[in-house]
Amino acid sequence: MTAEFHGEEEILGKAYDARLMARILRYLRPYWKLLTVAFTFLLLHTGTQLSGPYITKIAIDRYILNQDVHGLDNMALAYLGVVFLGFLFLFIQTYTTEYTGQRAMHDLRMEIFSHLQTQDMAYFDGNPVGRLMTRTVNDVETLNELFSTGVVGLLGDLFTVVGIAAVMLWLDWQLALVCLTAFPAILYISRFYRRRAREVYRESRLILARLNAQLQENIAGVGTVQAFGQEAKMHSRFQQINYGYRNVLLRSVRYNAVFFPIIEIFSALTIGLLLWYGGGLILQQTIQAGVIVAFIQYIQRMYQPIRDLAEKYNIMQAAMASSERIFALLDTPATIKNPLRPKAPEQFLGEVEFKDVWLAYHPGEPVLKGISFRVRPGEKIALVGATGGGKTSIISALCRFYDVTRGQILVDGIDIRDWDKQHLRRQLGLVLQDVFLFSGDIAANITLGDPRISSEKMIQAARRVHIAPFIEKLPNGYHQEVQERGSTLSQGQRQLLSFARALAFDPRILILDEATSSVDTETEMLIQDALHELLDDRTALIIAHRLSTIKNADRILVIHKGEIWEQGTHQELLAQGGLYARLYDLQYRQNGERSDSGAALPNRALESA
Amino acid sequence: MALPWLIKDAIDTILYKADGSVSLLRYPLLILGAAILQGCFRYGWRININGFSRRCEADLRDRVFSHLQKLPLNYFQHTKTGDLMSRMTNDIQAVRELMGFGSLAIIDAMVVIIFSLSFMIRIDPWLTLWSMLAMPLITVVVRFFGRHIFRWSRDTQEQLSVMSAYVQENLAGVRVVQAYAQEQNQVEGFATISGAYRHNTMWLATLWGIFWPLMQVLAGIAATIVLWLGGRQVLQGSMTLGAFVAFNGYLAMLTWPLMAVGYVVNQYQRGTAALSRVFEVLDTPVSPRYETFESPVRSLLSRGSVEFRDLTFAYSADHAPVLKNLNLIIPPGSICGIVGETGSGKSTLVSLLLRLFEPPDGTVFIDGRDIKRIPVAEVEAAVGFVSQDIFLFSGTIHDNILFGLDSSDGKKAEEAARIAQLLPAIESFSHQFQTVIGERGVRLSGGQKQRTALARAIIKNPPILILDDAFSSVDVETEEEILRELKRFMKGRTTLLISHRISTVRDADMIVYLRDGKIIELGTHDELVAERGAYYELYQRQKLVRQLESMKHQEERP
Repeated sequence: MTAEFHGEEEILGKAYDARLMARILRYLRPYWKLLTVAFTFLLLHTGTQLSGPYITKIAIDRYILNQDVHGLDNMALAYLGVVFLGFLFLFIQTYTTEYTGQRAMHDLRMEIFSHLQTQDMAYFDGNPVGRLMTRTVNDVETLNELFSTGVVGLLGDLFTVVGIAAVMLWLDWQLALVCLTAFPAILYISRFYRRRAREVYRESRLILARLNAQLQENIAGVGTVQAFGQEAKMHSRFQQINYGYRNVLLRSVRYNAVFFPIIEIFSALTIGLLLWYGGGLILQQTIQAGVIVAFIQYIQRMYQPIRDLAEKYNIMQAAMASSERIFALLDTPATIKNPLRPKAPEQFLGEVEFKDVWLAYHPGEPVLKGISFRVRPGEKIALVGATGGGKTSIISALCRFYDVTRGQILVDGIDIRDWDKQHLRRQLGLVLQDVFLFSGDIAANITLGDPRISSEKMIQAARRVHIAPFIEKLPNGYHQEVQERGSTLSQGQRQLLSFARALAFDPRILILDEATSSVDTETEMLIQDALHELLDDRTALIIAHRLSTIKNADRILVIHKGEIWEQGTHQELLAQGGLYARLYDLQYRQNGERSDSGAALPNRALESA
Repeated sequence: MALPWLIKDAIDTILYKADGSVSLLRYPLLILGAAILQGCFRYGWRININGFSRRCEADLRDRVFSHLQKLPLNYFQHTKTGDLMSRMTNDIQAVRELMGFGSLAIIDAMVVIIFSLSFMIRIDPWLTLWSMLAMPLITVVVRFFGRHIFRWSRDTQEQLSVMSAYVQENLAGVRVVQAYAQEQNQVEGFATISGAYRHNTMWLATLWGIFWPLMQVLAGIAATIVLWLGGRQVLQGSMTLGAFVAFNGYLAMLTWPLMAVGYVVNQYQRGTAALSRVFEVLDTPVSPRYETFESPVRSLLSRGSVEFRDLTFAYSADHAPVLKNLNLIIPPGSICGIVGETGSGKSTLVSLLLRLFEPPDGTVFIDGRDIKRIPVAEVEAAVGFVSQDIFLFSGTIHDNILFGLDSSDGKKAEEAARIAQLLPAIESFSHQFQTVIGERGVRLSGGQKQRTALARAIIKNPPILILDDAFSSVDVETEEEILRELKRFMKGRTTLLISHRISTVRDADMIVYLRDGKIIELGTHDELVAERGAYYELYQRQKLVRQLESMKHQEERP
């Protein structure tokens, strides 16, 4: 709940927008049969609502006034029947409406979620997770209100009002017209009220957003407030908003306190008119008393929908705003698309070539400047260099998280933009420095829930990277739930788990960002061993931090300031006496004085500096 | 309340005593009069009770806020922001609903029930009894359904947060998802959750779908009984038609209050639970730094000597100490540089000086006085603090610089901004000092944020200045520029200068090297370099990094 998204949250537009509505209705189309049912029962229910007073009228005029006990019994039975039918109809209508709405919203949510999966990293860099979550969950929820309360409620109210007016006119048009004389005035007043209510609603939402933002800011910045001794100042600022909010709400209390009694007065006025005019008619023997009784009941039922109008209006408005935001999200095209004729060769060799690759996240600020190198199938390449030099960008570009700005990346001689995205990624195994664990059990974290990975394969992968003994010792073994942010697992174990994950997917090309965090010597040995297992018979690109990894690599690329600075084997580079040699020299010397759990690393020298 | 009674009289007059046309106007007017009177009453009491509850809500929120601000910082570390926010908004709202709507509904219900029943009994006690067979069930049904609906909606709400969490996790782990081509799999997982949510909401809808119509059924049964039995009596002549209509009217009036009773009972439980959650916050004791002294010594701290004496500190009893037996004396007016690895206790050490966390008694001294014996306002006035994770407020630059002062002196702000080297940046903004910097200062660069925080500390003109890694976001050249200007300001003030960069602290009067909460080296730059210890290593490493950074590609490339 950041102030930022509250800001955009509060743009309330029109309560009805034909273009948006048409698009919303498209989601209901698959369920038109159910909708028809709901609509039919809505009409039927309105019918039962209308018939109650009518039965009363018949009972009075035909039977009570004519002393017909048997007829009265029948009428009472009919009344009871209508009551139960009303129950049934209303239930069916509510249920089908809700069912349709929920189905449609489920579809919409799925569409949003699937759409998000196709976006590239640049999109996620620009759209905070919180905002996207709001779209997928909260905005859809608001839209659902539109179905369950807004549209259906409004339709039902409309039917009721129109139906009552029609029945009244049919029973006695003169009397009905007399009763309806107050109606234009009521419409006018409720329009006035609705405007005020909307204004207050809008204002209250805005000020509530500010209140929440202020609250959030104060909780987050409480240390600063205390350090500067500004509690009183912040308090008075909060007071201003808090009491401002109260005052807006008091206004709404006032409007309600005026509006509802006024509606009641009008309702009484109408009944007064009815008695006055209807009384005259009865005296003239034109109508019978039952009509008056029925009219009284009709009038009371007619006023209810008018009271709810403002609330429903607000729901409509909020739903329109939400749908607008949702559609804006859906209309953002995926930037990294599959090519029209994607290539997905059966045979996968695992050859990688960068040809003069340039990459810029922001125009004019390239992070990779003309990177060119070739990796033969099965070759292991270590990338070393300072933070911000471009190592991570190289692997991001290879995974096609971002498309290159200039040049091209070839895998097995095919430009990665011509590859089938999914097919290519299935051949790439990515192990990130910060191991991301999903909530769920250990097994699901190794297989990522992919059904193609059998549990034998999963367990075998865990064995090969030496994490199996640890997992088997857990109370629930492979079905042990992983705690939030992985507190059940140590840093080292998390690394091993991510190795198991990569191994289970059996990629031809392994992309590894080695973790810098130091682990105890024993775990270090396990990791080195597991790494060896993982790299076996695969092409590998490693952002290396361990001296052992670097030494074992077939070739080392020293990446500095977005360029390849030096390359060669460990021995060659040392002999060269360049950047790599100096880093190594420094680290070695430092290590001589402070043992750092056996992992010597030129990179760390730079990164901790 | 008299309305149905008047209708009764009117109908009876028309039907049974139709003698003159005078009476025809009398009743409508009476009805209108009664309605207006009732309207006025309703207005008066709605506005009072609802208004009262809104006022209480605001006051309660105000109290919680002012309390919250003074809670110890530990409290915020183990309490989620979302949880606190929910107590401040949802829970307080539930309390308000209980007070406002709850009390309004219960009073309303009482009045209506008493009046309706007594009128009904006056018309016909037996018919009242019969018709009341079904009506009290309304209260029972509301209570029953209310409870279950509440439970289901809470579950649904929880499922909604499960869904949010799934989306959040998916988006946070999007690299892994895409790298392993697991999009389809994730979509299926989401479908399961979304489907379960849909399933839950359908249950909720079913409950609602039965609940409302059931209300109508119960009221309808009562109406049927009245139509049937009452109709008979009218037919037999033992009851007037007007009385029959009035009876129906009163019966209809009863539906809502009977529902309200059941509703309020449920609301009472929710409201009190919410209130107890709010009180949990209010009952948490405020940080000890706010304790008041009986006779505060009003001698302002001005010299600025700082001493840590045998200081051992842990964030809580079950945590390992962060600082261990630390002794350090910083003479007034001197600059003390503090270096050391992340987690060595540098930031903790300086935050104790402001009592942001509570040091043990007799361990931290300013001007020779134990800071736990000095009113905290005095300490705050004496210390200018630039913290590591800078927090700026979403207002203007002007407001942020003047944050620690009560005045809004534009001249002072300008001077502070000049010393902090922020002036050129401000002058490039179109609204200058009135530029709104956004939430947490998002519209500023990292370096601009740090310089704003620096100006915020400088403007207080404090005898003690703490800079906790205050220049990490600016490059070395800019830092040197800032330091050059700042040196003049630091003259005569005691400065604690934490940095990762040797270049920042090398001119300090004394430099402390912290490791694992202990001082392992202490001396001037030259002394420490000569010592060839940890400081020297750091110095060498950084020298190399600077060399690398200034390397030209063409020269070095083989």
